[in-house]
Amino acid sequence: MRKQTILSIALSAIFVIAAAEPVMAYTLLSPRRRWATTPITVRVYNVGNSTITDGDGGVTAVVGAIRAWGIISSSTTSSAAVRGTAPATIMLNTNGGGLCTGGCLAATLTGYYTTQTGDDRIYDADVYTNTAQPLYSSRESGCSGEYDIDGIMTHEVGHVIGLGHSSVAGATMYPSVSACNTSPRSLATDDINGKNDLY
Amino acid sequence: MRRSLSLITLLLIVSALPLTASQFIEQPFDQVAREASLIVRGTVTNTWSAWDDSHEVIFTYATVNVNRYFGESTGPDTLIVREVGGTVDGYTQEAIGFPAIRSGEDVVLMLAKWDDSADYRIHAYNQGKYLVKKSGPDIILIEDPVKQGDARVGGAEKGPRTNAVASTPAGLRLEEFAQMVDDARAARHIDTGKRQ
Repeated sequence: MRKQTILSIALSAIFVIAAAEPVMAYTLLSPRRRWATTPITVRVYNVGNSTITDGDGGVTAVVGAIRAWGIISSSTTSSAAVRGTAPATIMLNTNGGGLCTGGCLAATLTGYYTTQTGDDRIYDADVYTNTAQPLYSSRESGCSGEYDIDGIMTHEVGHVIGLGHSSVAGATMYPSVSACNTSPRSLATDDINGKNDLY
Repeated sequence: MRRSLSLITLLLIVSALPLTASQFIEQPFDQVAREASLIVRGTVTNTWSAWDDSHEVIFTYATVNVNRYFGESTGPDTLIVREVGGTVDGYTQEAIGFPAIRSGEDVVLMLAKWDDSADYRIHAYNQGKYLVKKSGPDIILIEDPVKQGDARVGGAEKGPRTNAVASTPAGLRLEEFAQMVDDARAARHIDTGKRQ
């Protein structure tokens, strides 16, 4: 009887885990949307974040980090983001007029036109940073309760290109991140599968 | 033994649910409840979207017919809530992972004012919005599984099917929520654990 009970619990557990485990991993933004051409131009505004003490407030670090996607042409710019107008621009020095405050680390505001023929076209995407959160970059040594700007922006650029969140722990597009966690800097196979689905 | 099995099963289901939060830092419930200016239950009766004055951001405005205020807060029967994102003339702007607000929803909202205006916004992003559902004799609150950029549950999907997460997390009973708000607003320390 006891063996039967244990067996029954084990079988129930296997069934429930199999049923509840997401069959998917990466997700695409819905409706599905993509940029018309690659490489996708992403500019990083050259006024950095005051909490990042790597010499330029994280600008150089982010320009390099977001190239992990392989389809990004990144550079600095002296022009601040104009929402609703390309190119995609990352702003490290502003929360976008109150767009990203409190528990928000960074926010991507994306714009697209609906088409009748298939994939919708992304027309613009801009990223804003919560300037009240403690941040650091790959060009600094050590971390003490700060959030990694390289990983945060690699994640946000995943949204810029049309990806949603992934259920794969350790993927760049996993929805949550902890302080001093640098793993989102490196794309997981799941992130690459998502990108390849779109481009 | 049957009861133990049910508990184990429930635990396994809950632990296997995917996270639906965005890249936000989770705030303690009592902090969110204390910071909110108003906490209301109501029905979204109407929504409309418009560009801001500088034609840079599309906001969606929602009329919320309030039928209950929580905590000590009180106010008018109708509120206007303004959230980033919306569609104007075929162009859609979305703040990925932010809460969406849709006509017809029965919701509980924790609201705060925008920094630069007297308009209300959902406080603490998705932590400030619950959908109200009936579950047998209970009225329960669940986190909205469909944020901006996610697939609409039950909505027609054009083109290739996406696989956005649309889980239904375990609910919180309405009166339980009301008590938690009262406790938080009374600044009594309560350990609610971390919402996932």
